[in-house]
Amino acid sequence: MLPMSRFIATIGGHKPPISLALLASVGVLICFSACDFLIPEPQDEYVNGRLRVTYWEKWTGVEGQAIRNVVDRFNASQDRIFVDLITTSQIDRKTLVAIAGGEPPDIVGLWNQAIPPYAEKGALMPLRPFMEKAGMSESDFIDVFIVMNKYKGELYGLPTTPATCSLHWNKKLFREAGLDPERPPRTLAELDEMAQKLTKYDANGNIVQLGFSPAEPNWWPYAWSAWFGGRLWDGHNITFDTPENLATLQWIKSYADRYGVDRLRRFRSGASGQFASPQNPFFTGKIAMILQGVWMANFISQYAPDLEWGAAPFPTAVPGLDYVTVAQCDSISIPVGSRHPDEAFEFIQFLYQQKEIEQLNIDQWKFSPLKNVSPDFVARHPNPNIKLFMDLGSSPNAYCLPDLLIFYEYSDEITPAIDKIMNGLDTPEHLVKHVQNQVSKKWARVQQVVEKREAAQQETRP
Amino acid sequence: MTPRERRNLRNGLIFIAPWIIGFLIFVAYPLVASFFYSLCDYSVLRPPVYIGGLNYQEMAQDPVFWKSLGNTVYFTVLFLPLSTLVAIALALLLNTGVRGMAIYRTIFFLPSLTPLVALGILWMWMLNGEYGVINHVLNTLLKPLGVQAPAWLQSITWSKPAIVLMSLWGVGHAMVIYLAALQDIPVQLYEAAELDGARAWSKIRHITLPLLSPAIFFNVTMGIITAMQVFALPYVISSGEGGPARSTMFYSMYLYHTAFRYLRMGYACAMAWFLFIVIITLTLIFHRISRRHLHYGQ
Amino acid sequence: MANNDVGLSSSSDVKNRKHLMSELELRPTNEALVPANYVVRRKLGAVFTHAVLIAGSVVFLFPLIWMISTSLKPLGQTMRMPPEWIPDPVMWANYAKAVNYVPFLHYAQNTLIIAILATLGTVVSSSIVAYGFSRIEWKGRDKVFLILLATMMIPFPVTMVPMYSVFRELHWIGTFRPLWVPAWLGASAFSVFLLRQFFLTIPRDFSDAACIDGCTEFGTLWRVILPLSRPALAVVALFHFLYCWNDFMGPLIYLIDQKNFTLALGLQFFQSMQGGTPWNLLMAASTLVVAPIVVLFFFAQKTFIEGITMSGLKG
Repeated sequence: MLPMSRFIATIGGHKPPISLALLASVGVLICFSACDFLIPEPQDEYVNGRLRVTYWEKWTGVEGQAIRNVVDRFNASQDRIFVDLITTSQIDRKTLVAIAGGEPPDIVGLWNQAIPPYAEKGALMPLRPFMEKAGMSESDFIDVFIVMNKYKGELYGLPTTPATCSLHWNKKLFREAGLDPERPPRTLAELDEMAQKLTKYDANGNIVQLGFSPAEPNWWPYAWSAWFGGRLWDGHNITFDTPENLATLQWIKSYADRYGVDRLRRFRSGASGQFASPQNPFFTGKIAMILQGVWMANFISQYAPDLEWGAAPFPTAVPGLDYVTVAQCDSISIPVGSRHPDEAFEFIQFLYQQKEIEQLNIDQWKFSPLKNVSPDFVARHPNPNIKLFMDLGSSPNAYCLPDLLIFYEYSDEITPAIDKIMNGLDTPEHLVKHVQNQVSKKWARVQQVVEKREAAQQETRP
Repeated sequence: MTPRERRNLRNGLIFIAPWIIGFLIFVAYPLVASFFYSLCDYSVLRPPVYIGGLNYQEMAQDPVFWKSLGNTVYFTVLFLPLSTLVAIALALLLNTGVRGMAIYRTIFFLPSLTPLVALGILWMWMLNGEYGVINHVLNTLLKPLGVQAPAWLQSITWSKPAIVLMSLWGVGHAMVIYLAALQDIPVQLYEAAELDGARAWSKIRHITLPLLSPAIFFNVTMGIITAMQVFALPYVISSGEGGPARSTMFYSMYLYHTAFRYLRMGYACAMAWFLFIVIITLTLIFHRISRRHLHYGQ
Repeated sequence: MANNDVGLSSSSDVKNRKHLMSELELRPTNEALVPANYVVRRKLGAVFTHAVLIAGSVVFLFPLIWMISTSLKPLGQTMRMPPEWIPDPVMWANYAKAVNYVPFLHYAQNTLIIAILATLGTVVSSSIVAYGFSRIEWKGRDKVFLILLATMMIPFPVTMVPMYSVFRELHWIGTFRPLWVPAWLGASAFSVFLLRQFFLTIPRDFSDAACIDGCTEFGTLWRVILPLSRPALAVVALFHFLYCWNDFMGPLIYLIDQKNFTLALGLQFFQSMQGGTPWNLLMAASTLVVAPIVVLFFFAQKTFIEGITMSGLKG
């Protein structure tokens, strides 16, 4: 009670000075302006007299350092352009928003799956005109990595760091199981057989050593059909409901049946979150064979340098089909709305000098997207199996999904389907139709909109 | 209107003018615009193309939409009662005037202050089926029963309860409000009850809870609004995928995917509007139910 | 078993409640749990309460202790299972590394600027708006207030894209402005709600008495209501500051140049693409982000609780 009554007593008698209110408002105004001064303005066009070109890239850590070295060398090699490399997390979302906002970066590093939808929506500039001026040609590059950066015949991105994947196996575990450590499985049936020999259980029936599972590491669930000669899409239609894809799902189911849904789930749980650590199940010998990418050698050297391992093309279920792999890449593009596309491409041209692009890839433990390879590239490369990954990249059976506008929707439909199989909740026969159905609907809808828009454009054209 | 009423109206509107401006720019316009977008195919990168009610039609037949809605409702229905219980229980305990109350209060409030990214990763750790601490403890307890603890985040049945468990760590906000409300209940009421021979549970049931009811009403209402929009934890836990088999695909995650992964902002706006309606409906239902039980200390 | 008719027996008590509240003092009511009559039972009750509280604290602190423990481990040890609590060796250097991995101090500065501007704006505009909704009787007031309440139910995605276009038209994308200017326009419905409830509890006699010589409405606000509302204003400020400090979505959408990033965004950088997250550094960074808030809350909690008590929020 007291404070209030005291308070009222003090103010009851007189009016407070007007200047107090005035002071307060002036104070607020000063605050405002001061703070406005503190707030940074959007980018300056020139830095030290050089034209600023912004480059958003997703890489951090070692990979980030690799591209930073290239950028630094470019900036040092001339004094007209300054490439401002900005490490960006959630790059696809940020780029989308920035392009829509009309303030995109001059150069952006996306993933190849984003290229067709962004291109279709007119968010990326076609690169061929730039390449022609610079004397670069599409045929300089390994085919599959160019195909995945095109949409309807136009090139919208260039591959910076390509990747392929293969079978990795643990030689010591092979030896212990009485298998020849230098001889990996050559067919899928052999893989299944060897996996059984390599699987051990404990007293409670839990798996302590797993030969193989399609659910590990679960990075490319959509791609297993490649090894069955299946295709997700033929360039015009969704082709999930095919005998090859059915066979794929049945093969996956065979693992769930043979090893037990529950046991595999427990194994998956123990493995989750452990990729970049000494406890990675492949490094500790908890899993003997795995499908992994070209970067694996890097992680092995960091976390399990004593591991005896080998890499070979992942075996297929189709006789005569060999050197099958999933091909992916990081791409570099120039967004529509970029303020300095020509200068941006000058940097890209610098990047694709053989020694630069090779150095970038060596630093990231990957291989160069150029067909031409320096004679000492393989020798210099830290990955002992780099030649295999390069051959896989050049193989006619390198699998990618060209011109697919709905990659994410498709993949997001396949992943839960496989989850369901691994959890014994649905059958391959039903799922192969269900996924086909769902994805076809989405594709039909996208086509509708694209057609509508093209029709509207035709009308406005004279 | 009398001159006085007119003057009051004018003054009232002047005072709420900042809010009116803000409302028009940041609420009304976006609401109308997003409703318009929901009737279009809009990829953000291109101008919207009008398609009428097709998005809503598609929504009605989209199994993923229903799954995500179901997951979110499941979470809300499981989480709200539990969090209310835990928050009130903690507030009751803290209200007993124990020493070091300030420290306890901070401790219970802390988890709701931590960045969700860090919390999410921590929990993924602790809930690891084979080596996580939680299962370590659970398995030792369950051993005599011959049952094994579930592989929480890899299990289709246990992934959502795991998220509920993680979210319970954030009851600090609600607890603080209940604590404040409890401290407001006059001592005399309890003394009077004791004179009539009431014991602990009775006192809680007949004095504490009814007088807490406005606070409960407030917290549960806010709880419905936030629970239906939960995004960060499931996203971090499932690495943005909503697995396994879409068991952790929450409504807001599917909305996010639709907008930013599939580039379908129009569909996302339709989903957002639907969510808005659902939240309003749930809140109204809750309001109706609780009217009978609300005591404003009369 | 007495059937307490709470309504009748406590009406006078409740009238006194408002006076009790203004005591600016907290009076714990431990009679709810501890039987009043026996010293022994009371002591046992206290022990029981303590035991449960300590157990609860352990449970609640568990993840945070883990966070700190991990932040001091060398990278190889962070993922080790079964988990170890005491890092060996203790890597205090992780904190230095975390601070250098991203421009931590710079991000902290950015976060502070945004948070302070937004909090200031919220306090100022919410007080003015709440005054209009509580101390002036005007036609349709309560209906408009319901609209304000309804805005709290609008999910963020509904307004996200159009709001982005608005800011884009204003050329504010990439600046801090989208993050604090709306706060000056009463954007925080929650704050307005809280303050309005509080203002309603101030008896009309006070404001009438203080302005016998007839001051304006604004004068009443400035000279009477605001000084009485310090705890409630503190609650609004604290809640909003907390929200800004941890806000991730806003900065993610509106900030483009890394130099302008906030701490919440900075934490993202520790999660790299191909699975090579430096967990120990991430935990160290997270600890650093949480620490100031914890300290702030610990010292401000008394005011905080008072503010909620007196706001009639819960009543």
